Amino acid sequence: MSKDPAAASWPASLNISRGVGLLQAAALSLAITMLPFNAQAQSGDIPRTADGKPDMNGLWQALGSTHWNIEPGAAKAGPDFRMGANGAIPATLGVVQDGPLPYTPEALATRDRNADDWAALDPVGKCYMPGVPRANYMPFPFQIVQSPEHTVMAYEFASAMRIVYMDQPDFDGPVPAWMGHSRGHWEGDTLVIRVTDFMPYTWFDHVGNHHSDQLEVIERYTLENPNLIRYEAEIRDPETFTRPWTLRLPLYRRMEENAQLLEFKCVEFAEELIYGYLNKNAPADRVPPRGMPFTIQEPVTQ
Amino acid sequence: MKTSFHKPALLALLCTGSFYATAQDSDDWQVPRTINGHPDLQGVWANNSSTPLERPEVFGDRPELTAEEFADLRAQAAEIEASGGDALFGDGFLNAVITGEVQSYDPATGNYDAAWMVDRNLENRTSLVVDPPNGRIPPMTEEGRARMQERAANRPGATDSYLGRPLQERCITWGMPYIMAGYNSYYQIVQSEDTVAIIQEMIHDVRIVPINDKPHADERIELWHGDSRGWWDGDTLVVQTRNFSDQSQFRGAGANRLFTERYTRTAEDVLEYQFTVEDPSTWERPWTAVINYTASEDPIYEYACHEGNYALMGILSGARAAERNTQSN
Repeated sequence: MSKDPAAASWPASLNISRGVGLLQAAALSLAITMLPFNAQAQSGDIPRTADGKPDMNGLWQALGSTHWNIEPGAAKAGPDFRMGANGAIPATLGVVQDGPLPYTPEALATRDRNADDWAALDPVGKCYMPGVPRANYMPFPFQIVQSPEHTVMAYEFASAMRIVYMDQPDFDGPVPAWMGHSRGHWEGDTLVIRVTDFMPYTWFDHVGNHHSDQLEVIERYTLENPNLIRYEAEIRDPETFTRPWTLRLPLYRRMEENAQLLEFKCVEFAEELIYGYLNKNAPADRVPPRGMPFTIQEPVTQ
Repeated sequence: MKTSFHKPALLALLCTGSFYATAQDSDDWQVPRTINGHPDLQGVWANNSSTPLERPEVFGDRPELTAEEFADLRAQAAEIEASGGDALFGDGFLNAVITGEVQSYDPATGNYDAAWMVDRNLENRTSLVVDPPNGRIPPMTEEGRARMQERAANRPGATDSYLGRPLQERCITWGMPYIMAGYNSYYQIVQSEDTVAIIQEMIHDVRIVPINDKPHADERIELWHGDSRGWWDGDTLVVQTRNFSDQSQFRGAGANRLFTERYTRTAEDVLEYQFTVEDPSTWERPWTAVINYTASEDPIYEYACHEGNYALMGILSGARAAERNTQSN
C-alpha cells in the first residue's frame, strides 16, 4: 500500500486532500491506510456496481452557465428586449482548460459569425440533438443506466440518447450521428469514452463554438463521491482546431426525493420557427429558418 | 438496424414455432441473470411479427392457423416477397396474404416500396390481441367515439399546417407502446440494479423504468410516453404506465389510460411482450395483446427523424405551390 496520499492510484485521498489542510489530509490518509482491506481503502466512499465498477447510475446535471459559453465571458443582454432581465445572458467562468480555443483562422471567423447570429443559427434552438459534449451540460438532467456491456445516457433535452458500447474498440460507427458513436472502457475507476462519427452541424454552446465531422471526443467520467462526477472532454478536430483542447466541469447528482427524467420533446416548440412560413395563410413575419442542415425556399420558383 | 437499402432480400421466413421447439427441447435452458441476479432481458429485440393486431374475421375465434394454413401462408408470403411491390407494414402483411390484394401504405405517392421491409417473423397466430377471445379490440364507448370525432374536427387540414400532419411525420413520437412492425421497429433493453432502460430506435426514445416503490409522478405532469414504474413478478418485468398527455395517441385512447406491460424471456432469442390497456372512457373493457420480439444481432442506429425532416417541408411547400398554381390559372 502506498504511503503517499497523492499517489496516482489513490484518487479518493487525492480528492479528499483538496478541501482540507495538509495535516488533516495526512491524518485521513493514515486512517485509510489502517483500514483492514485494501479494496475498501481504495474505493473511498463511492458506491460500486455488482461487478466492482464505480456506480454512476442515476440522474445527473451540470450546474451553471456553461451551455451559454464554454469560454469565460461577462453577462450581456439577450436577443429580445421584451424579455428584459429574464432574457439576459449570465456570465460564464469558462470550462476550457488550455487558454483561448485554438481555432484555425477560418474556423474562428465562422465562430464569430455564429456568435453574431446565434439566436437564428444555434442548432438546439431548432430542437436538434445537442451532440457531445454539449448534451452533458445543457440545463437539463440526463440519466445514466449502467450495465457491464452497455451504458445508456438518456437526455431530457430533445429525448437525445447515446448507447456506450463497453470494451468494443473495434466496433466502428455504422453511420454518422448527431450524438456520435460512443465506445467506452475503464481506466482504473475512470470511465473513458471515445466518441466519433459525428455530424458536422452541432455546436458546443450558444455562442457558436463549433466543429467539423472530423471531431473526436475523449470523455472521462470520474465518480468523486456518490453525488459528484468529475467530467472531462478532450476535443480533437484538426480541421477546426490547431491542437487538441480540454474542457472540464462537475456533474451533480439530482438530489430531490422525487427526481426523475421527464420529457422535453421540444420538436413541438420549434415547429413554428422551422415550418411556420409554409403554413397556409402564414403571417408575414414567418420567414424561412436559417442554419438548417437542409431547407426549402418558399416560394419555389417555377 | 435501419433497413438496408443494399439488401434486396426481404422476407426471410422465420418461424417462431421453431424458436419454441428449440426452447422446449432443451430442458436445461434457463432465463439468464444479470450481475444483480435479475432476469436478463438485455439485448436488441425486433418486433417483426407478421401477425395483425386484430384477427381477420375469416378466422372467427381461432387463435392459431392450422398446419396446412400456415404452410399456405408461408408460400403466399414468399410470393408477395418475390413480386417486389409496395412495402407492407403492421397488419398489411397477413391481410395481403389472406385477401391476395396488396394495399399500399400511401397510395397517393406509393412512397414506401418493398426495400423498406425487414425480415418478417411469420407466426401461426391469427392476431396479436389475445383478450377478448375473439382477438379484436373491444367496441368503443360513446365517449371514446365522441373524442375521436372531436379530435378529427379540430385538426387543421392535412396540408394547411404542420399541425395537420400525424405525430410520427412531425417526428414527435410513434407512441407508447410503439407496436407496429415495419421498419426501425427495434428495441434495446439495458438493465442496472434498479432501473430498466427500454430504448426505442424510432425517434431515439428511451423509456426509463425505475424498479422501486416510489409513487408515480404528480398527475399534473402529463407526458407523451406516460410515467412508468416497474417491478419483478417472478421472471417477468411488469411495467405500469399512466400520466399520459391528452395529445398523445394510442388507437383513440384518452389521457387517463393505464398500461400494464409484461416482459418475459421465453427462450434465448425470444422476448414475449404482453400489454394490457385499460381505459373505460374509450373501450367497453380492457384488452390484451402479445407480441413475440425476436433477438437481433445488429445494433440500434440513431434515427435522427426531426433533424432530417425535409419531407414535412416538402409536403407543405408542395401544397402552397399547388394553391398558387390554382390561383394563377
